[in-house]
Amino acid sequence: MLEAAIEILLKTVVILALPLGALPLIIHVERRGAAFMQKRLGPNRVGPFGLLQPLADVAKFMFKEEVHPTHVRPFFYTAAPMIALVVALLPLACIPVAGPIEAFGRTIFPEVFRSDMGIFFAFAVSALGSYGILLAGWASNNKYSMLGALRACAQMVSYELSLSTSLVAMIFLYGTNDIHQMVNAQSGYWFGVIPQWGFFYQPVAAMLFLVGIFAESNRLPFDLAEGESEIVAGYHLEYSSMKFALFFMAEYIHMIALSALFIIMFFGGYGLLPGFDLIAGNSPVLIVLLQVASLVIKVALMIWFFVWVRWTLPRFRYDQLMNLGWERLLPLGIANLIVTVLFVYFRNR
Amino acid sequence: MEFAAFIVFFLIACTLAAVLLGISSFLGQKRKAIREMDIYESGVNPVGSATRQYDIKFYVTAILFLLFDVEIVFLLPWALAYKESTNTGFMIGGFIFFMVILLVGYIFVINSKALKWED
Repeated sequence: MLEAAIEILLKTVVILALPLGALPLIIHVERRGAAFMQKRLGPNRVGPFGLLQPLADVAKFMFKEEVHPTHVRPFFYTAAPMIALVVALLPLACIPVAGPIEAFGRTIFPEVFRSDMGIFFAFAVSALGSYGILLAGWASNNKYSMLGALRACAQMVSYELSLSTSLVAMIFLYGTNDIHQMVNAQSGYWFGVIPQWGFFYQPVAAMLFLVGIFAESNRLPFDLAEGESEIVAGYHLEYSSMKFALFFMAEYIHMIALSALFIIMFFGGYGLLPGFDLIAGNSPVLIVLLQVASLVIKVALMIWFFVWVRWTLPRFRYDQLMNLGWERLLPLGIANLIVTVLFVYFRNR
Repeated sequence: MEFAAFIVFFLIACTLAAVLLGISSFLGQKRKAIREMDIYESGVNPVGSATRQYDIKFYVTAILFLLFDVEIVFLLPWALAYKESTNTGFMIGGFIFFMVILLVGYIFVINSKALKWED
């Protein structure tokens, strides 16, 4: 009993510390990446290469005045940023960072919440993210906030449909909703070099899912929840100091969690990167470490991709965004599903 | 037992969020500036309530999302059951029937211009 409790606490702390610890680094990469693409310097004064800048920002957030406007609905105004952050953290509970570990005479699963419905659970709780945003917009009692929240919410639910159709296609293809089995199904190689990742089976589903991630986490080119010339900062307009920081953190953590799910379904999850299996040999400790390293490297590349897209594509207009979601991506997702199902059926006949 | 792990994770995440909020309201500077507490609206006094009217399209989008999402939720157990079923022909027939109904609904939605955002 005590052993189990220690195990749960240890896993919880590690799983929470990984993304929260990476957060300052990601924000730094985002800024320096932006500077790199625009041929300017970016933050480079605080610490070596400006690495301590995000920490300085955190300190600043803490010491700033917390403006609590008189016109807001107080309970939901305070609850909304907390809901946003907690809901963004929840999907991480069932994302495994490595394969099952055989140690101390039993099998340890390196995810906090071991469930055979892991991937459904992750999607269910990550979809709750729109509640934090909608509550923030409504509780702020401000026209800009309300409009921003409505926009963000409509956008998130619209793109969730195409995202879910690609999820159905992948679950149909793997025939399982257990994350470990999904990763195992992608562990083989073609010709000994090309890994059998889900991306190569389902490129259309992967593209739909990728677009869905951008829309779900309100990232450019889909950041219609904000817009300086129309609705200023959108749903977090009336928020200041740490309350604003919580929304900011929630957005990045949502991004990390959805990237990890994308990688689990389409890029082999914690499965070793090509070449890593040569280093690993037969040592079980080394294999686990390299699995964690593979997942971290893949997620890091995804984050870089987010930054890259942000400074490459211009943003959409709102009607274009909704038309793309409902009239292009949703039929494409359904067509992809039908083709996948019929292909599997006729191949196995 | 597994769910206990999730409860612990949830409680720790909540505590984390509450502590972060607590830190800034404890450490942050406090002033009593009256103008600061006003609604932010381009420097002019706000006219009317914030929640008086918004586009019906948002409402329609939410309803349509519910419909389509429920259909996708129905497909998920189907996708899992397919591998274990012995009568795959029946499974495929049911799937096609379901998709045709979905498609009819989708065409109706598009034709009735429920999702056209430009005026």
